[in-house]
Formats: sequence, C-alpha cells, structure tokens
Amino acid sequence: MRDELKVGVFLCECGGNISDIIDLDEVRASLNVEFIGQFENLCSLNGRKIIRDAIFDHDLDRVVVAACSPISHEKTFQDYVKPLNPYLMDMANIREQCSWVHDDKEKATRKAITLINASIEKVKQSDPVDPIFCQTPDEVAVIGGGIAGMNAALSLAKQGTKVTLIEQSPSIGGHMAKIGKVFSPVKIAEECGMCLLNPILNELVWNENIEVLTNSKVIESERRAGTYNLIVEKSPRYVDTEKCIACGKCAQVCEVEVPDDWNDGLSTRKAIYRPFGQSYPESYVIDMDNCTKCSNCVKVCNMRAIKLRGRPERIPLQVGSIIVATGHKLFDMNKRPEYGYARYDDVITQSELGRITGVNGPTKGKLLKSNGEVPKRVVMIQCVGSRDEKPDGHKYCSKICCTVALKNANIIKHKYPETDVVICYTDVRTPGMFEKYYKHTQENEVRFIRGRPGEVVKKKDHFIVRTEDTLKGEFIEIEADMVVLSTAMEPSEGTREIAEILNIGTTEDGFIKESHPKIKPVATDVQGIFVCGTAQDPKDITESIMQATASASKVAEYNYGGVEIEPFIAEIDKEKCILCGDCISRCKYKSMSIQNDEVYIDPMACTGCGKCLVGCSQKAIHVNGNIDEKIMATIKGVLSKKQEGQRMILVFLDNIGYTAADNIGVNRLSYPESIHIIKVISVNRVRPNHIKYALDNGADGVFIGEFPGDLMYDEVERKVVRMKETLEEFNENPDRIMFSKVYIPYFTGLARKLTDFDKKIEELNL
Amino acid sequence: MKSIPDKDILLFRSCLVSVEYPGVESSTKFVFDKLKIDYEISDKQTCCTGLGHYSDVFDQIDTTAIGARNFKIAKNLNRPNIVMMCATCYAINKKSVKLLNKKDDLRNHINQLFEDNGLEHLKYEKDDLKPTENIFHVVDILYGKISEIPKHIKYDLSGYKIATHHGCHYCKVHYEDTIAGFRDPNIIDELVEACGCKTIGWYDHKRATCGTGFRQRYSNPDLSFTATADKMNALCDEDAEIVVHLCPNCHIQFDRYQPLISKREGRDFKAIHLNIAQFIAIAMGGDFDKVIGVKAHTTPVDSVIKELKEVPK
Amino acid sequence: MTSKQNIDDSPIDFAEKIIRDVKNSKEEGVLKCVQCGMCTSTCPAARHSNYNPRDIIERVLDGDVSILEDDLIWNCFYCYTCHSVCPVGNSVCEVNQILKQIAISNEIGYDKLYEYMGFADSYFTAAIGAIPEIFFDDIDRDVPGWRDFRNNLGEIRDELELDPPLMPPKEVIDEVSKILTITGFKAKIEKIRQSQEVEK
Repeated sequence: MRDELKVGVFLCECGGNISDIIDLDEVRASLNVEFIGQFENLCSLNGRKIIRDAIFDHDLDRVVVAACSPISHEKTFQDYVKPLNPYLMDMANIREQCSWVHDDKEKATRKAITLINASIEKVKQSDPVDPIFCQTPDEVAVIGGGIAGMNAALSLAKQGTKVTLIEQSPSIGGHMAKIGKVFSPVKIAEECGMCLLNPILNELVWNENIEVLTNSKVIESERRAGTYNLIVEKSPRYVDTEKCIACGKCAQVCEVEVPDDWNDGLSTRKAIYRPFGQSYPESYVIDMDNCTKCSNCVKVCNMRAIKLRGRPERIPLQVGSIIVATGHKLFDMNKRPEYGYARYDDVITQSELGRITGVNGPTKGKLLKSNGEVPKRVVMIQCVGSRDEKPDGHKYCSKICCTVALKNANIIKHKYPETDVVICYTDVRTPGMFEKYYKHTQENEVRFIRGRPGEVVKKKDHFIVRTEDTLKGEFIEIEADMVVLSTAMEPSEGTREIAEILNIGTTEDGFIKESHPKIKPVATDVQGIFVCGTAQDPKDITESIMQATASASKVAEYNYGGVEIEPFIAEIDKEKCILCGDCISRCKYKSMSIQNDEVYIDPMACTGCGKCLVGCSQKAIHVNGNIDEKIMATIKGVLSKKQEGQRMILVFLDNIGYTAADNIGVNRLSYPESIHIIKVISVNRVRPNHIKYALDNGADGVFIGEFPGDLMYDEVERKVVRMKETLEEFNENPDRIMFSKVYIPYFTGLARKLTDFDKKIEELNL
Repeated sequence: MKSIPDKDILLFRSCLVSVEYPGVESSTKFVFDKLKIDYEISDKQTCCTGLGHYSDVFDQIDTTAIGARNFKIAKNLNRPNIVMMCATCYAINKKSVKLLNKKDDLRNHINQLFEDNGLEHLKYEKDDLKPTENIFHVVDILYGKISEIPKHIKYDLSGYKIATHHGCHYCKVHYEDTIAGFRDPNIIDELVEACGCKTIGWYDHKRATCGTGFRQRYSNPDLSFTATADKMNALCDEDAEIVVHLCPNCHIQFDRYQPLISKREGRDFKAIHLNIAQFIAIAMGGDFDKVIGVKAHTTPVDSVIKELKEVPK
Repeated sequence: MTSKQNIDDSPIDFAEKIIRDVKNSKEEGVLKCVQCGMCTSTCPAARHSNYNPRDIIERVLDGDVSILEDDLIWNCFYCYTCHSVCPVGNSVCEVNQILKQIAISNEIGYDKLYEYMGFADSYFTAAIGAIPEIFFDDIDRDVPGWRDFRNNLGEIRDELELDPPLMPPKEVIDEVSKILTITGFKAKIEKIRQSQEVEK
C-alpha cells in the first residue's frame, strides 16, 4: 500500500536563505513522516551523507527534499538518494517559490508546509523507473552532393564516421560547379569556382569512409529508436564507371543533340555525355530519355563499358542520422512573363550569365549576345521572384542576388570596360565586408538605378526596360541590348520530396525548417535529422559550408554521446491496439508510426504530453510514471492543508513556465502566498478531472500557463476554453480558471498576472 | 484549376452592353445556347454602379448595398452563379461579395438599414455567395467549355491577324481568380485559338489599360487618348486586324475613338473590335445583324471581315 | 528646405485611417511599402502625366494630408495594374479611391463630381448607369455618327430580339432609389448639387 511507504523529508536551511523566513521548527512539528532531517547546506557532500545514512538507517522508501528549485538541484539530489531509484525523490521548492517571494514569516511557513505535504503525497505515487538510453548507429546518410553535402560528408568522414553521400544527378558538385567565378569580400577579387571546388571533390573521392551514390534518390524511410532504414533507388547509368576511362569516343559518334542543362541550355550536348569536365564519377552517362538506342556508342567503346539495358537498383541503408543537403533551384521565369525571358534570347538569368562568362561555358568566357556581338549595355533587374508576395513569388529576400549581380557586373567590367552595366535595385544588401565589394563595383563604373522595373519590351534592335528612378521620381525607359534577371532561390524538387519522405517540417516557403532559428540552426524537428545549405534557406557558399560542418558536428555529438531520455513517455498495449492510427495523426511531435503492424513510439521524440491518450478509442495507450496520479496527489496534498478562510490558487506550469516562476524569486519580486505552483512535465497532462477535483475540494482558482512556442500551445488553449464552458454548465464561474502565455524572460509579467488573478479570485470569493 | 459552372447561371446585364453594343448580349446568348449553358436573364437585376463608382460618385457602401440586392435576386432564382458581360460589373460584384462575407460590420450595417426600412427581404447572410465559386465573367464560362467550342465552328477566321485586349477589371482586380494569367493575360487568346485561329500573342502594352480610365475619358481626354494610343500604336506595329475584347468599356474606347486617335497620331488604325462572344458567334455562324449587332460598331466589322469562308468539314 | 517632425506629430495616423476604410482589401499593405517604384513603372498615368503612385504612398506615410487637395490624385485610371503587381501587397489604386472619398467627405473634391452627377440621377430614374448627357456633345464631336446610332438603338435592339427591355420595371427602380436613400447616398448627392448651385 502506497500509504504505508516510509517517507523521509530533508529540510535545507540554505545558509539562512530559507530558514530566515521559514520557521523550520514549526515545519518539522507539522510533518508526520518516518524521518525528518535538516542541514544548513543539503547540496554539499555532507548533505549527501545525511541523506544516504537516513535512507539506510530508517529503511526509507521515498525521499522529499525541501530546498531550492528542482531546476537548480534535482540532478544533484537524484544522485544523493542512491541506491534509491532517482525517480523516488521529489523536491519541494521552498526557496525560489516560497522564502524568496514572501515576507510574512507565518504565511511563508504555512505555505512551505503545504508544499512539502504536496511533495510527500506526490512521491508516494512514484515508482522506480529507469531513464531510457539510446545509442544510435554511427553510419550517416548525407542527401545531396552539392557544396554543403560534400563538406558535411567530408567532415564526418575525417572524424572516422562512415558516410553514404546520395546524389540524384549523375555527378556530385551541385550548383557551385557551374557558377563560374566566385569572390570573397575580403580579397575583392573574383576567383575560379571550379579551382576551389576541385580539391574538396578530390579529397572526398579518395576518402575511404565515404561512399558516393550518384543517380540515386531516397525513396523510402522508416525510423526506429534512432535508426533510419532508408531505401535508395539508384537509376542505371548505362555506362560502367569501373570500365569507362572517359575518352569521349562515344559522345563523338552519338547523333542525338539536346540542350545542355549544365550550361543552362545555352549549348548542346549528346545523349551520351559527361556532365562537365571535372564531374565525378569520371565516367560518361546516357540520358535515356533522349537516347535513340542506335548503338553507335556501344560499337565504338574499346572498354566495353556501355550497356543499353539496365534497371533501377534498390539499395537498403541503415543509418543513425541523416543530413539533408538537397539544395535549391532557381525561380521559373515564366512566372514573371513581363520581363520577356521566354520571348527574347538576350533576356537571361544571372546563372546563364555565369555560364556565358565562364571559360568552360558555351562562349568560352566571351560576353556575347545571341547574334555574336558584345552588348553595349547590360541592365540587371534585381529581386525577380524574391521579396514579392504576388502569386508564385517569394516573400523572402534570396540573400545572395545582390552580391551575385555585383560579381557578374565586375566580371563584365574587367573584360569589357566599354559595356555599360546598370543594376536596377530596390535595396543593395551587402552586409558586413560585402559592402567593400559594393564600393569596388561602383569604382568600376557600374551604374545603379533605384527602382523595380515593371517590364522589358523589345523595340527594333534593342530592349526597353521600363522603370521609375525612384531617387529622381522619374519614369524612365532604359535602352539595353542584354537584360539579366536576378532570379530568386527556391527549394529544389529534391528538398520538397525529401521533406515529405522523412516527414520533416518545412517553412511556408517549402524550405526545411530548423528546430530553432537561433539556438538550433541545423537540427530539424525530427531527432537525428539535420539540415544544411540552401535546403534550409537561401545562402551563399561560405554559409553553406559553415552550416554543413555545424551539422556534421551535431551528428558527431549524437554518435559519441548517445542520448539519455526521461522515461515518462507513452507506451502501447499491443493487445488492445486496433491500429486505427488516430494517435499517429494526433502526435504533434511525430513520435508515432506503424511498423511491422504495430504502433511504434520513438522514445527520442515522445514528450509524454499525453495527447494520444485522449483520442485512443481502445484505451490502449498509457504514459509511464503515474503522471495522472501524481498530479492528483499533489493537488490533494496542497488542498489538505487549507485552513479556514485561506485562499488557495493552484498554478500549473511546465519546465518553461516553472523557470519563469523561479525567476520571480531569483529577482526577489513577490506574489501572494495563495499561489501554489505545481510543476508538470506537460501542461497538457493537467486534465479536466484534475481541475474539477481541485475546484470542488477547496481550490479557489486554477491558473494554467503555457509557452506559446510549445507545439501543444493551441491544443491546451482550446482545452481550457472547453473546461471553462463545462464549468459554466455546472453553474460555476469560469473566471476561476485562467489561461496565460508564459515566457522565461518575462517573469515580471507572470508575477503581475499571478497577483492580478489572486485579486480577481478574492473578489469572486466575496 | 477552379471549377467553372455551366448551369444555374444568372447572366448579369450590363448598362454599357445594353446601350452601346447590344450585340454582345445577343452573341453571348447565341454562344451559350450552342454550348448548352443553362442561364437566365432577370428584369429585376439592376446596374452594378460601376461607372458611378469609378467616377467617385458612389462610395463602397452604396455599391455594396445595391450588390446585396442583386445577389438576393440570383439566390431567389436559384441561380447563384452570376456571370458578367462587363469586366467592371465582374470586379464590382466580386468585391462586394468578398466584403459582405468578410467585413461583419459592413454586412450588419447594410442588413440593419434594410431591416429598418422595410427591405428585410434583401438581407444578405454571410457566405450566401462565394466570390470564387459564384462570381464569373462570360470568358470564364466559355473557358470551362473550351473543348466544346471547336465542334461548333462554322467559319474559318484564321486568315486574320488577331490580337487580344484583356480588360483590367477582369484580370487585375481579383488577380487570384483570373484564369490564364494576369501579368501576361491569355484567356481570350486561348478562346480565339479554340476557334481554330492564332493570335499575335504578346505585344507591347498588352496588359495595359485601354485608356478609358473612367473619368479620364471625359475630364482628361488628352491623358486618356494618349494611353490608348500606346496600345493602338503597338497593335498597328503588329498589323493587327481584329482586336478581341471582353469589356464593353474598352470596346467603346477602341472602336468609337479609333478614328479620333488615328487622326491624333497621324496613323491609319484600321483594326476592327469585337467582343470575344461576338468573335466566337461569328465563327459559329451568327448573323451579322441579328446576332452580332454590327450596326452598333463605329469601325465597320465588314471593313475587315469581308467574306466568310466555311471550315472544310 | 527643412521639414520638421514635432514630438507630438503622429504621421502614421493617416495611413491607419486608410487601412481602416472598408474598401481597403490589403490590410496593412500600405505600411509595408518600400518605395520600390514598381507601381510607377507600370502606371499609365505616371507614363503620361506627373501622377506618381509611389509618391502618393510616400506622402500618405508621411501623414501629408495636403495630398487630398492635390489635383494629381484625380489622374488615376483605376486600371489596377499597381494593385496586381505590388510586391509587398499594397494597392495604390485602392488607396487612391479611399483618398478621394476622404476628400469628398471633407467637401474638398465636390467640383470633380459636378459633371458626373448624371450617373447618380440615372439610378433614381432608371436604375441604370448611363453616360451623363452633359458629355453627349463631346462624344458626338469625337465619335462621328454616335448620336444617330443612339437614336437608332431601339431598332438595333429589336433586330437582335433582346429581352427583357432596357428599363427595369417601376418597382425595381423604386427599390433601388430607396436603397440609395437609406445608405445616405441621396443626401450626399443633394449636398453636392447645392454646392454646385452656389458656385454657379
């Protein structure tokens, strides 16, 4: 019987912090337990001896430590109660939430007794449970072989981790391979992009810890306790990479010519081709959509590397973590037809200009119009598809287009000083050191007109760009013979697909959403999946590499440390479960899935919020740790100490709200003694029957606080509204329940709200 | 693609169509009948207030109250799909439905006025009509039947240089509902193509206004006609012979004022101007006088379409 | 020239007033303007006159109420091109309409409406919006044969076998008149008309 359990209570004086306000003699006198200890500093090693000796000497089953906040010292005392199970100890917070917020010694003492009593009742409901320890497999899948994915893979491989790099196109390298020149704001000079990329590519190819799968896509994913079972589909290349020596004879005899996508369609390639000079694997590939199967290539290949038949291969992969580096694509110019991209050859994108000015591009680096002449004036239009909330546009700034335009303008000016370059902009965004490059561009006589052009039309031999020069307030028509559009970056198809396959959250714009934009910039909302590069949002090469290495480091943390998880999570009774899937759709933390005809709950994702419990028609789910009973026992423990005429308000807070409440004490602010704060693992676990019981048995008011950033916030708010309605049906005043937002730094607000609520309850009691 | 009704339609009469180009109404009926579209015209329906509204004489509440009355008529006829022949009627009515559904204060105010003055029967309930699902222009309805159009084509008009002008109040006011583009509007082009013809597609100022500008035509004629000249010059550069419209007000600006603007610009603008319903009706064999109403046109239709060639069977 | 913002000035109030207008469909759009000028780049009135939609928003955001008296605001074509392309989701076209209604309610723009009173009259007499007769001479001058055509309209309509007839039944006209009376429209029109008489 739980009532017969032997409980020991240990009172901490906290060097006067507690004992100066709370009369601990009176506290001791009021308690009826097996053992009561007291010490000036319980958290010290001497305190540990006192607690441990008492447990042995008095054969204690449960321990209550009445001291500071569990936020400060719960881990300490969980350790001090060994050999008792750590979860058989509970802390009564009589410092931050009692002696530090109240001045009236008598009332503070009475409240301390109440809080300790609540802890005693609560701890009797505790059972020994073990924390769950998860160790995930070391293997990692990096999805996407652009500059971000390559760097993430390389960083992990150098730390000894086995990495599979999965790339859907026939070569790794990504956008950087075709970018032409890159520049650094410090050097104020443009450098060869391929020359920077190639060493990374080589290093990666030679690293034994990395396996590169090209022509490959993840098509299925299943998660189990931190292990991901992926299915990768590898499309046939039709050329054996082991045999092919990239001599190129095959392409010479191929009769099919199609636009070369690596050159943005500005030149052509054959149906059998090598994507670009430094592509990896160093092998040709057949574009089967365009191949006529004439077999010319097969006949001419001395290495017998070509086979015109082949079928996709499915490769199973088991990994512990995943890095998503699936990148971006560029805005479809057909969505802004007024700029004439589809109508006129010499209206091009910055990406195409990069190919044209690239020495390995269609014109071997010469800036030429489609008629073979050098343009007299190039007009660049910024923000095409970016900072545009109209249909098909993107509200965000694509971040790199200003500097890309500056770079390409400089490249033109270096080679063709006679060509006039005009950049039509809304704002030139060159933060930090990039500003120097902006100045350098101005020195190169690139001209800037502040205005967002409305349209580009062709009149005879030249274009007219219609815009307002907003600094002059003048509508102008600028003649040009080449127009370059700075197109928005948007999530690639691969990014959208992988988000769906891995069930990871995305932003309204379709980018992979980081778990927290400030403090968790590379984690996703799914444990063990990280993101880097432009799959997450628009960024440049430098930032992509920084994020890539950050995500590699996070994976390493995960691999080496393992993860210890609080055991208060949901569990399924397989006998009762009918696999209706209701819980899966309810779970905001995406912790549930059906695997092998069973509902599987990932311990790494479940928070024990209990949302799944409510919807389960079979009552097949329970959350470990007697949470319901503990909440009820705590309520009873508080209310049983209520005295005639005393006002009692119960406040339910989770870890965030509780920390905010502690901060009130830490900053020595105050709130009324009627406030009794009960810490819960999730506010959602406070159920209508708890509240009803409280109000029926002496609680004058119930205050529920929740952090708006919690995934369950809306849910809890709705629940409170329903509870208020129920209260009204029973002719009770719904104003006795209050729901409020809580924020850790806004503890003054919480103190005020608690004080106001107490006043309101006082009025209701009249 | 949004769903386009072909029944329960109230064909909404337009003041400008009635008094300037009545052939647009008869052509619309002719084409609707061919395509088996179920519609009705009501003598209870009144003007949308558009001309007065965009001359700043009517404020929103006046326009929306008149709109509520017309919406009730459609509801009572069990013809909730209101289909406009005029771009401005389309924009005005769609906006009123949006406001009545979304702005509770406005709806309650108008309903209260109705109630206090013995007009309870006109009260508008929130979501009586839906802006996207119930408010259409004739071109939308034709677009919904675009695959049927070729079956009824009798005459071949593919020998002419055809350009299109899309009314601003169809394309740009409620751009989220516009079919086939508003930045490069193409719905008329697609309908013309369904008649077996090609259009010139994009031309300079294709998406620009006809130049009417409501009060501009009367109070600021220089400004108005200069804007129209932009378009007429661009159309003349492309040698357009037939310009196809969807709005009677644009139609007036182009057809009625073409001789004047010709003189101002010193160029011989010769294009004829047809509403898309008239264009399709001609291709489907509608009689010039009894269906197309060519007598109402200032630039004679037969100055370009001199004879009709049957499509070989 | 120096312009001064006093500590108690609240220029944003003007924009707030526009945002609250029932006609405004763009919520806070006007506040989000970054003066990119795309509206002006596509505006027919900006192309051919000193009208500048971007500048209108700048003046509204500056709280410059003198714009209500600026003749230029009457140059807008209501073509909605700015409305359809504005990258931040503002609509100068709607703002312009609201400005004019504010002007009218402040009795500033009455003279701009005198010629258009015919649009109001035709509602009370026929429940239709007919081109005001005051313009007929101009039209007949600019459009050869227009008056003859109008005189023959009945015949043309007869040939097209159009029904119902042009004019709605009397009870419909009465109902519409009543609506326009209870919305305050009729009183407003009468007030404008009085002002016109006085000016004469």
